[in-house]
Amino acid sequence: MARKKFKLFSMIVLTFALVFVSACTGSGNKDNTAEPAKASSASPSAESSKAPAVPDGPFGKYDPPINVTTVRSSTPSVEYLPDQTLDDNVWYREFASELGINLKNKWTVNTAQYPSKITVTMVSGDMPDFFIVDMQQFQTLAQAGQLADLTEIYDKYASDTVKTAYNESGGIKLKAGTVDGKLLGMAVDGGSNDDAHSLYIRKDWMEKLGRTAPTTMDELMDLAIAFANEDPDGDGKKNTYGLDISKDIFGGFASIDGFLNGFGGYGFNPANGSGTNLIFLKGQDGKAIYADIQPEVKTALGKLADLFKAGAIHPEFSVMDGNKAGEMLTSSKVGMTYGAFWVPTWPINNMHTEDPSIDWGVYEAPSGTGSPTIVQSSGMPSRFMVVSKNSKNPEAMIKVMNYATEKLTGAQKDIGKYHTIKQGDKNYQIHTLAPIYAPSGEKNQNYHYQVLEALKKGDKSGLDEEAQLYYDQVKAYDGGDASQWVAHTLWDENGVFATLGKYKKNNRILMTAYTGAPTATMVAKGPALRDLEARAFTEIIMGAKPLDYFDEFAKQWLEQGGNDILAEINATGQVQ
Amino acid sequence: MMARKSWRMEIPLHFMIMPGLIFILIFAYGPMVGLVIAFQKFNIGKGLFGSEWIGLENFKYVYSLPDTMNVIRNTVYIAFMKIVAGLVAPIITALLLNELRKQLFKRTVQTLIYLPNFLSWVILSGILIEVLSPTTGILNDFMAWFGLERVFFLGNAKWFPYVMVTTDVWKEFGFSTIVYLAALTGISPALYEASVIDGANRWKQTLHITLPGMLPIIILLTTLSLGQVLNAGFDQIFNMYSPSVYETGDIIDTYVYRIGLGNGQFGVATAVGLFKSVISLFAISLSYILAYRIANYRIF
Repeated sequence: MARKKFKLFSMIVLTFALVFVSACTGSGNKDNTAEPAKASSASPSAESSKAPAVPDGPFGKYDPPINVTTVRSSTPSVEYLPDQTLDDNVWYREFASELGINLKNKWTVNTAQYPSKITVTMVSGDMPDFFIVDMQQFQTLAQAGQLADLTEIYDKYASDTVKTAYNESGGIKLKAGTVDGKLLGMAVDGGSNDDAHSLYIRKDWMEKLGRTAPTTMDELMDLAIAFANEDPDGDGKKNTYGLDISKDIFGGFASIDGFLNGFGGYGFNPANGSGTNLIFLKGQDGKAIYADIQPEVKTALGKLADLFKAGAIHPEFSVMDGNKAGEMLTSSKVGMTYGAFWVPTWPINNMHTEDPSIDWGVYEAPSGTGSPTIVQSSGMPSRFMVVSKNSKNPEAMIKVMNYATEKLTGAQKDIGKYHTIKQGDKNYQIHTLAPIYAPSGEKNQNYHYQVLEALKKGDKSGLDEEAQLYYDQVKAYDGGDASQWVAHTLWDENGVFATLGKYKKNNRILMTAYTGAPTATMVAKGPALRDLEARAFTEIIMGAKPLDYFDEFAKQWLEQGGNDILAEINATGQVQ
Repeated sequence: MMARKSWRMEIPLHFMIMPGLIFILIFAYGPMVGLVIAFQKFNIGKGLFGSEWIGLENFKYVYSLPDTMNVIRNTVYIAFMKIVAGLVAPIITALLLNELRKQLFKRTVQTLIYLPNFLSWVILSGILIEVLSPTTGILNDFMAWFGLERVFFLGNAKWFPYVMVTTDVWKEFGFSTIVYLAALTGISPALYEASVIDGANRWKQTLHITLPGMLPIIILLTTLSLGQVLNAGFDQIFNMYSPSVYETGDIIDTYVYRIGLGNGQFGVATAVGLFKSVISLFAISLSYILAYRIANYRIF
């Protein structure tokens, strides 16, 4: 009997042990998310027990300090300094010490997964105080009334530097963030045409094959095929390609936008995008037409199919994501890519430093039409920093933005500490660790002109601190410091901003004719139409479908919702 | 007296089942409340019960999408092939392994085929993309060495579904093999001894003793797997597909992920999930009834 009792007792103990263990593991997993939530809910009570202290002015310090949460995304291939991570860096430390804002990341996630994770967060209701969303999510949140109204807060707390940046280009950034007369989101990009594509070419390969930079599309095709066939890397194997393309087709690099522009065609609908951020052109009758189904695009796709057939495009491009396409460049497998201004900072940033015989040149997009190429640029913001309506301190985001903007572009600027830290051969971009700041749209373009001017005079005294840094970096490169290749490629003559300057000065930039919010059909049918387009373009380039399939695609696009989208857009009266 | 005592004896057992039950209540039954979203124009601000009711509008919307029928066809095709191959491959492997005399060899094989089961599709997809690459992949190099043409396994719409089935079976069949091997050890050796005396050879033994002995477990696993008829494997396909194989490789789950979650169409995504669950319930009930009628085997 005693033994039986013992058995019963031990089983009960075991049961509770199991429950206990599972409970512990459960809370252990949740630890990461639970802790900040606890912290933020604890702070207001602590605060309300004292005085409700919202310090005046853009830089007033909270006393007692407040706890604020956000979420971040990171690119896997970006390296951080050991003491400067997304969770703990100079910004977060100084927000705490200078502003009395304890900023905590609820989570950080891979950039590619960020939009989905945000969507899940939106539904679960477990939103951080402030976070970055895309256009689509911005609309959803705004319609659901989940966002704090920033109109007054912005007026009251935004610093002059921040306000100047947001008033640029006719205040397009503020307009895009305003819904029904309320400012609900601070645009984090847009307002400039820096995203227009240049052509990046391996100069060392070109020299090796005795060729010059292409100015026409025929020359570009020729060069691409030569890169594939004439063994530019000299290893005796046919393992190189001419033009880098990823499976997303459109995007910041390894994309076809610049190639289309060369033939007078325009298009934008990345296979991994939302399907609602599109380019519309103004037709002859003044009504909007969809850029991606125009005959010029067909011509360009035909040329891409020719390149693919000739082996100048990687046969597996249709399964390569952006990281893999970047690897194609860094492993010296591909000699050309179209891309935005940031391509020299990623992915090709370290190539010249690690092997000085490797050199990339930046060129205008060649033209296949006889007149200089007019390149496409979005100009519109695509991402917004928003504040949850449940945030106890909605002005904290503006204060954080004031602080970061002041340290990066304002009077208290300290580039060596806040923008870029050089260690060994590598430059660490500290400014990307700040959750938000308000960069001036044309700031970089102006720096280019100033640095170039100073270089000609050989005198940097008239430059501000950031421009002096670039000046020094370019000078260092000219003096043989290969690690300053990025600065050289961005700022010097024949660099990225020199190319962009040529586009901008000669009005060679095309922006979408429709700048309003996505329409109802765009939201409902956009993703399906995006898939249709991604499939059609990929299959045409790969030769799985004949070029004339493009006409079939154009018809399907209109029938499966495109006609409704165009009708809705024309009805808004916002086609410019 | 006896009945009361045995009930008392079972109290600890009831306690032991509690964690599992609570787990299921919280994570399987609790979220079912969210199914109401399928009939709503879901607004994240108004929540589950404040959102506007729109009846079957979400279902109609999915039906109106041009790819829906194709996606359902792909799903059933891939899932069905996976179910069949996932039954046949482990049964044959188990039978063959059972015939082996060398225990060491048997154990080694068993462990090796079980290994891929422990890797996630995220990792495996990375490996498979390299292995199956037409330019640098080891498989294509091997095929080229035999004079066969190189195949773009992951970029060719014709090949893609079969690659998914093959790699899935490769990853999963080790586990089922072990289950079947366990069933084999449960067959009484006396039956084999008797059959040898009756003059049965190896093949006859397999046919009349081994297979009938395994039948209950085969029926059990088949019935359970029929519930998966609309689950063609999100993890696997999502990590390996691309626009060029949407035509044959896009399944319900990946499609809903792209149009639903990626763009915040929660009502639509929930409607499809509900549709899948109803079909699965139907399929699993049917197979349960069939198993009882035909093989006189009851799972529950």
